[in-house]
Amino acid sequence: MPEPSKPRPAFAPWDRRELPGIFGVEESAKRVGHYKWIEIKLFEALGGWVATVPELDVKLVLGRHCYHHAWHADLWDQRLPELREMNPDRLNVPPNEELVAFVDAMREPDGPDLTIEKLVGVYRVLIPRKIAAYTYHLNGTSTITDSPTIRSLNFVLQDEFQDWREGEMLIQSLIETPEDAERAARRAAELEALMLRAGGITGPGTLGEVTEGHNAPVGGVVA
Amino acid sequence: MKKMFPAEELARDSRFVRNKIEDQVFDPRNQALSQRDMGSAKLDPNRPAAAERARALMHGIFTGEIQALEGAGRTTFDFDETEVPLKLKLDMARQCWDESRHCEISVKLGDWMGSEIGEFAEQTFLYQAACADDPVLRLTGVNRALEGLAIDVFNTMKEFGELSGDPVLAFCEDWMLADEVTHVKMGSDWLRRLTENDPERRERALEFQRTVDKLFSLGGFRGENEDNPIHLARRFRELAGFSDDELEELVKVSEESKAEAEAMSAAVQQGA
Repeated sequence: MPEPSKPRPAFAPWDRRELPGIFGVEESAKRVGHYKWIEIKLFEALGGWVATVPELDVKLVLGRHCYHHAWHADLWDQRLPELREMNPDRLNVPPNEELVAFVDAMREPDGPDLTIEKLVGVYRVLIPRKIAAYTYHLNGTSTITDSPTIRSLNFVLQDEFQDWREGEMLIQSLIETPEDAERAARRAAELEALMLRAGGITGPGTLGEVTEGHNAPVGGVVA
Repeated sequence: MKKMFPAEELARDSRFVRNKIEDQVFDPRNQALSQRDMGSAKLDPNRPAAAERARALMHGIFTGEIQALEGAGRTTFDFDETEVPLKLKLDMARQCWDESRHCEISVKLGDWMGSEIGEFAEQTFLYQAACADDPVLRLTGVNRALEGLAIDVFNTMKEFGELSGDPVLAFCEDWMLADEVTHVKMGSDWLRRLTENDPERRERALEFQRTVDKLFSLGGFRGENEDNPIHLARRFRELAGFSDDELEELVKVSEESKAEAEAMSAAVQQGA
């Protein structure tokens, strides 16, 4: 029987978490504010589109995914005060006007014949960008000091991957002709150009600052 | 995407058939049918038409769930955070998921009961109640009045499932009933919070709820008598935030609605 009073290390040998991270509290809060903003814009769009799409399976998936992104917005809303941001609306902003232009364009399709355009904007452009930004945050932040954000990022990413897969399968099932494929590609290219101008969902530096041909971390570096 | 999406534009595939409630009410064939003395309108498994009526009701539930999904979805989009609290929009998004699930359950139950999508016509008056400009009216019209009716309908269908020996129907209706209690409670809670300092707005919203309740009493469709096809589920409505006074008022509204329908029918007969 092990001796209960025998000293043991605080970290088990297999626990490899470390203190260093590339985001300070302020940078982390700023990003979380942008996450909240984009999740709100996304769940509103999905909810609004439910009435506009005639395809029954798409309608039901949009209703389900609407809640996923609302839940993400709620997680980020709850995280902000924990990052010393006591006014949850102050950081609930887009990083720049270019991302607003992207969101306006993504949410613009209204007609019942535009389901491909609606889905491509969300599942081929925005969600991959969100997965990239969330993964960058997950990989870069301190695994000890910022573990509450990491926990949320893991939940959110699980939804994002599953929703992306489900949305992509719906798009593939709706594309029946070369013309449909062209429509989808054109729509993705138009929106990708807008997203490029925005620099990602948290603006330039979403995946680190681009300097002399490689990305470098943004924010308060703790080494 | 435009704000305030009209009911006429609700998107459906080619299986769905839509008609207007007035077409149904004023259809002379339906008026003639309503004159027949068929005894109690209760959903009773011993009656020959029970299975067909249950299928029709199930299809009505299905189209109602689609519109409830669409209505909740529009509320997430039509109002920004300057008009409603973010938490209310989050609740509406949650309701979207619940209604989406109810549509899935309803499709499976429709298959189970032997009906097909589009077999019965759809009317859009549920969604129309979700088109009010004031979000508080949507809460009373949809969450309290229509989701409240859903509590009564699901409870009745659950009982029908138990009486007719259909455990699948009873099981599914019980799950949906749990969600509806949550939605009605959401409506009760938000109504109280949003109108705490605005009694006039609260009264307007409750008046809208009474109007919707009366419309959906459909000439005595819902009530507490043996004759009523749908019975008021008092216990579940209490869980969802309905007071005793409100329950009594619902019974009264249903009786009034029945009396008005009988008077209208008599007038049509005299004129014929």
